[in-house]
Amino acid sequence: METLQFAFRKILYAIPLLFGVTLISFLLMVYFGPDLTYSLIGKNPTAEQIAEVRTQLGYDQPFFIRYGMFLKEMVTFDFGNSLSTGERVSSILLRTVPVSFAVALPGFVLSELLALALALIAANHRGGFVDKGIMVFAVVGMSISFLIVVIVFQIAFCSIYGLNLFPVQGWVVSNVADYFHYVAVPTMVIVFVGLGYNTRFFRAVIVEELNRDYVRTARAYGVSRFRILSAHILKNAMIPISTRVIISLPFVVIAGNLVIERYFNIPGVGLITYNAITTGDLPIVKAVVTSTAILYVIALVFTDIVYRMIDPRVALNS
Amino acid sequence: MEPEPQPSERREESSLAEGGVTGPVPVDILTADASHYRSESLWTKSIRKFARDPMGIAALVIVSVFFAIACGVWAGWIGQNWSSLQADGYTGMSREHWFGTNINGQDIYARTIQGTKTAFEVGLIVAVLSTVIGGILGAVAGYFDRTIVDEVIMWLYGCLDAIPFYLFVAAVAFALRDQPYAMHVAMIATFWSSTCRIVRGEVIKIKSLEYVQAAKALGVGSMTIIFRHVIPNTFHILLVQGTIAFVSAIKSEVILTYLGLGVKHGVSWGTMLSESTFEVSAGIFNNFIAASSFLFLLVIAFNLFADALQDALDPKKVTAS
Repeated sequence: METLQFAFRKILYAIPLLFGVTLISFLLMVYFGPDLTYSLIGKNPTAEQIAEVRTQLGYDQPFFIRYGMFLKEMVTFDFGNSLSTGERVSSILLRTVPVSFAVALPGFVLSELLALALALIAANHRGGFVDKGIMVFAVVGMSISFLIVVIVFQIAFCSIYGLNLFPVQGWVVSNVADYFHYVAVPTMVIVFVGLGYNTRFFRAVIVEELNRDYVRTARAYGVSRFRILSAHILKNAMIPISTRVIISLPFVVIAGNLVIERYFNIPGVGLITYNAITTGDLPIVKAVVTSTAILYVIALVFTDIVYRMIDPRVALNS
Repeated sequence: MEPEPQPSERREESSLAEGGVTGPVPVDILTADASHYRSESLWTKSIRKFARDPMGIAALVIVSVFFAIACGVWAGWIGQNWSSLQADGYTGMSREHWFGTNINGQDIYARTIQGTKTAFEVGLIVAVLSTVIGGILGAVAGYFDRTIVDEVIMWLYGCLDAIPFYLFVAAVAFALRDQPYAMHVAMIATFWSSTCRIVRGEVIKIKSLEYVQAAKALGVGSMTIIFRHVIPNTFHILLVQGTIAFVSAIKSEVILTYLGLGVKHGVSWGTMLSESTFEVSAGIFNNFIAASSFLFLLVIAFNLFADALQDALDPKKVTAS
């Protein structure tokens, strides 16, 4: 019962946040955004035609009516048509989201797992040579620009200057072998880029747990180092770690990976969004930005409620 | 996240002088060597600590060299010939053109140097403004915590955090058509939130301390307390957050420029790397190596500097040593 109440209040708290993100998106992209009248209209329009399109777009309506129209678009998942292809935006999203998911997921999972393993090793050898080595590697990894990693990995694995093992770009997937063929290099890039940040974060969390009293007690009772790390510390460190993981999921899935998808020419949300940004295709950008933000807020509420169910000590005001 | 004590610190000799500054000092120690204590503030202690960190010093030296280059460009001494067409495209390295030329025959060395200035411009503008905004709003939110002011500020950064960064920049670019500063505005609008969050947490702790309570009891106004007494005590956080914002800004500039959302006038390492994406597949690496090595060196130096700064400034470690 109390959990239910907690869930209800969390959902209530999310409403102003949802209002805020939709308002920001609306203000930036619709209210102060570009005037779409002339993108929708043919050549040499008459004054009546212009007025008609403007009415259709709602430009003659007051602020709150327009914001209401924007909200209605978001709720009904009806974002209008793409300006460049005329395809419905919702069907474009349905087509591209699975591709982005397939590209990003292996790298995302591997990056988190590898970082967790490295962080555990580093924390276990705290202050020692291994720890320093891993942390130096993490700082170096953090300092290399995403773009540089993409370029270097493409040269190294996809070009005649390197191993030339994988396709330079594209996404022609009909079976599992194809999938691994095309996803390999993007996965390596994602793992490399995320590894430094994640390792540092995870190590900090684990080291904080290591300093707690229960660890000293367990050690005094003669529990093995490995068991303390794997059974006790990992369990307690799981809350901050999984928060980070769940919260970054919407960004991975919907926002796709603009850089990777553009560089490897993979037809996911990222590439669609990139093209929409460069051609000024507002309906697509609007749909992607707002739906990602809404999903983020939902993920936030969801994690809070799940924690409460797992760990009843989680208070409402923390 | 509380940084753990570094092993190097445990080895430090904990002299009586260091332990005695914050607490009451026994009289006999005072008379023994009084001159030693007077100069010992938290800041001088931090500086001494920083000076003992070889990594931090090395990083600071590298950053200073880059800053000197940027100042040289601002002063008009170096890297001014970055846009003139001086030779054929893609000449290799030579005495006239240290790093060769790009497709248009522009000197890559001059462009790299000019890019250093652009990087500092972006980094400094974004770091200073986002830290100032985050610091002030964080202090106000923390001082008035659990009031409507606090709720509004938290709501604001909650909303901004929910929108993915690159997409937010795209949205801002839509709103500010043809404005060269759309990228800066977007970065400032997103980067202040992490500073705000940390400062808010710190101020909630600070405001229950005696000196703030005393100022309140004396009838000092809230704004005076915040700006004169509270914010100066969060400077160590602001300094570290500023360096982090600087690094994020110059890294983001590269990605945003590649995506067509960043620097549009002038040259930056981002424009050079974007150019190089068309060249590396043909085996021409001049642009790529020049821009990426400068970028990497500056970013790693700044990262190490930020780490060293954080270690040196952490007040918990200062009093613990």
